[in-house]
Amino acid sequence: MSLLVARGLTVSATIAGKTVQALRELDFALAPGRMMGLVGESGAGKSMIGRTIAQVLPPGFRVSGGSLTFDGRDLVTMDARSRRDLLGKDIAFIPQEPLSALNPVFTIGQQIDEHLARLGVCDRGERRERALAMFDAVHLPHGADLLTKYPHQLSGGMCQRVLIAMAFASRPRLVVADEPTTALDVTIQARIVQLIREMQEKSGTAVVFITHDLKLAAQICDEILVLYAGRPVERGPARTVFASPTHPYTRCLQLANPNLSGPRRALHSLPEQMPGLLGQLALDGCRFAPRCPLVEDACRRAEPPTVVTGADHAAACLRAASTASIAAPAIGTVPAGTGSGGPLVTVDAVTKRYALGGGFLSSRRHFDAVKGVSLAIARNEFVGVVGESGSGKSTLAKLIVGLETPTAGSIVMGGRDVTDGSRLARQARLDTVQMVFQDPQSALNPRRRVASIVTQAMEAGARATTWDERLARARELLREIGLPPETATRYPSQLSGGQRQRVNIARALCTTPKVLVADEIVSGLDVSVQAQLLNLLLRLRDEFGFSMLFISHDLSVVRYLCSRVLVMWRGEVVETGPTETVFANPQHPYTRMLLAAVPPDDPAAAWNPLDEVERLTA
Amino acid sequence: MHLGIVKMIGRRILIALPILGVVSVLLFVVLRLLPVDPAAMSMAPNATLEEIAAKRIEMGLDRSLPEQYAIWIGRVLQGDFGTSSHFRRPVIGLVVETLPQTIELVALGIVVATVLGLAGGLWMFHVRGTYQEPVVDFGSTLLMSIPEFLWALFFILLFGVALELLPFVGRLSATYSRPNATGFLLFDALAVGRIDIFLDALRHMVLPALALGIAFAPSIMRVLRSSLLDVYHEDYIHQARLRGIPERTLLTRHALKNAILPTLSLMGVQFGFMFGGTLLVEVIYSYPGMGNLMVDAVRNADLPIIQAVGLTYAAIVLVINTVVDALYLVLNPKLRAAA
Repeated sequence: MSLLVARGLTVSATIAGKTVQALRELDFALAPGRMMGLVGESGAGKSMIGRTIAQVLPPGFRVSGGSLTFDGRDLVTMDARSRRDLLGKDIAFIPQEPLSALNPVFTIGQQIDEHLARLGVCDRGERRERALAMFDAVHLPHGADLLTKYPHQLSGGMCQRVLIAMAFASRPRLVVADEPTTALDVTIQARIVQLIREMQEKSGTAVVFITHDLKLAAQICDEILVLYAGRPVERGPARTVFASPTHPYTRCLQLANPNLSGPRRALHSLPEQMPGLLGQLALDGCRFAPRCPLVEDACRRAEPPTVVTGADHAAACLRAASTASIAAPAIGTVPAGTGSGGPLVTVDAVTKRYALGGGFLSSRRHFDAVKGVSLAIARNEFVGVVGESGSGKSTLAKLIVGLETPTAGSIVMGGRDVTDGSRLARQARLDTVQMVFQDPQSALNPRRRVASIVTQAMEAGARATTWDERLARARELLREIGLPPETATRYPSQLSGGQRQRVNIARALCTTPKVLVADEIVSGLDVSVQAQLLNLLLRLRDEFGFSMLFISHDLSVVRYLCSRVLVMWRGEVVETGPTETVFANPQHPYTRMLLAAVPPDDPAAAWNPLDEVERLTA
Repeated sequence: MHLGIVKMIGRRILIALPILGVVSVLLFVVLRLLPVDPAAMSMAPNATLEEIAAKRIEMGLDRSLPEQYAIWIGRVLQGDFGTSSHFRRPVIGLVVETLPQTIELVALGIVVATVLGLAGGLWMFHVRGTYQEPVVDFGSTLLMSIPEFLWALFFILLFGVALELLPFVGRLSATYSRPNATGFLLFDALAVGRIDIFLDALRHMVLPALALGIAFAPSIMRVLRSSLLDVYHEDYIHQARLRGIPERTLLTRHALKNAILPTLSLMGVQFGFMFGGTLLVEVIYSYPGMGNLMVDAVRNADLPIIQAVGLTYAAIVLVINTVVDALYLVLNPKLRAAA
């Protein structure tokens, strides 16, 4: 018998006087001990399922149809008290942001103690023993120390282990993990995912694994349910769905993600974006129809029925049989930069040292965020920098654009060292580099309109510019980055995440810099939007010609975009070379570990990221 | 005590000394610029011009301003604040008499403000989104717009005159004589075992303390309410709820301890102001505290008292801020690590 069953589950809300559906006609049955992947982009309704299970819906949302049962009991109509009795005991949750999911004013020990007390462990000493045993189970060393620590004293990965330990403390029958690794580094992701799998097998728990990463879901889940705009579009056994998707959206999602092995292929970029809750009202037929490469008239008339496409495999699509015809052709490797005229930027043995605390009466300690890094960027060359958080990638970017001053070493642009802080050095820098920041939400001034944002660089130049000149340039830039001209008069808050990042890029391109320094510029975006931006960057380079230092934690994105890569670890460049060579035949153990942490392109292949970690730490 | 807190207090004392120095210069210079002759003020009304001139020289008023300041601050550092021209008594004695009274009053005012503020804030948060919210919101805005001296008058009329529930003049009923030890009346009464004196003194303090406290409570309420609203958007509240923790525990244990932090920094600022509030309230209730002393001194242009009380106020504000910051460190583990 199934443990968690949804039948025609629909969640609605009333927004601006209209009834919208965040989840629509959801059907699934999760058996005990099984792991189901819920896959979709942000806004698809993935997290709404977790919230429906706990009945903590956002204000205004309610279950308007269908049922959701846990072990035969209806979670929707159940009274609050009985439901609360289930939470934390039979149904547990693993959150997306481990650092903010623990209360900052209580120690780890106090929070676990509270949870165990609620689970009915009465004796204080026994609770402590249990807590220590829980730490062992999730491979957290120095348990006794950990109990007295506050959340901010731990890393994100450690916090997530604590939360996993708490979730599994009661041997729950169901665990809902909502993007449990999105906020963590890739190497940590691999370990956390395997830990969840291990704990699940140990206690026979059923898991709902919510993720945007189809490849990861295919790797670790038993079955997959793909959501698009609140509607389930495909479901089936995990490997089957990944190997032969039958809904065009699943196929496009798969092809929008760059691959790490095999020949480099073009990214299939879906046009526009998933409709929002209000946008869906305008669609009579299939919600994916406006973006679907296989769309035909019938798709727009009525919502397609769910058709069986294989054993336990179904898709809500009229054209499911043709899905396999959507393909992305293999393309050659990324063209290397042109060596003529020498490098545009040369970084030579640059070190950035920060003082740590110390001072009066205590000895000064320091920390090298960047240690003796050298690199050169040629004309039209995209250079990738990979590494985990704390590896010094972002500090390197800040040193190059002049937001930080190096402690030692030189940075040469336009034939002169730009680290001396002089006015001429500043000018040489402005003529050469522009930075694109990671988070467009905070990088774009919310009180300025797009036209004024993208032409911001024209304010700084010595040459006076009129507003008409700026407006003309803004229109030009918007056309180049593929935004409609009326965007010029909008504010950043009126744009989607992908549009904002385009504006962010346009701003950097305004004064046609020779080199863009881009720090994790696609990491916060959905896969289909990421694909659009990556293709945009390649197209812009072909059209205008510029170089880029592309900082990313995502190796497959770097492989798609960059001809050369630097691997950074603890402030140092541990390996560098042509991307294809480095990724195909990594020399440094750290590079091997990074590569092993990425789920393999073929879900059937063995994934043993932990072996490499142990090799590095040994 | 945590090492970080000791360090913080040490740093605060190091900063407090130059601040008091600057305040003393300001006090001295501003008062000297007033068209008031301290020599004439300190003498009998029938003194001759020659006598006043002699007094000026005796008091050092013929010297330059920096010289005068040096003489004054040198004496202050030895605990000599001069002699009150009005009371004809050493100023230090007046301050030592009145300061404990005011500290007791403000302490009680702080208790009232904290209790009302926290309870009101929790209530305002509790009724969020219900029909009661606009009513409570209106009420708190109304409370906030009434200054403490108006409350003082209102309480006299209501509890003193109309209901005759509580006394509203002085510090102690005439039938009692005050026990003298530390100057803190409530403490001294208990020390000599006179519960009746203690209660009588307390009854005299209720109305002024209530007036002070109720004037400061509304802003505490509002800050607590809005920080609770912020905290309820945090992941850890959501996650605790998903662990099945009841709403009441969420509020009192998980949310309140976080929401109290911004409230606490506001309270630090406010309690400094509350000493300023004692000026009018003490006059209205004829309460023999430092505020009353100050108002008298201003009325009589009694410069030595104004200087002494001014410096005392500055020192008190610094102490309160330090105490609040120390509390902040105790309650906030993140800052404790950074300290």
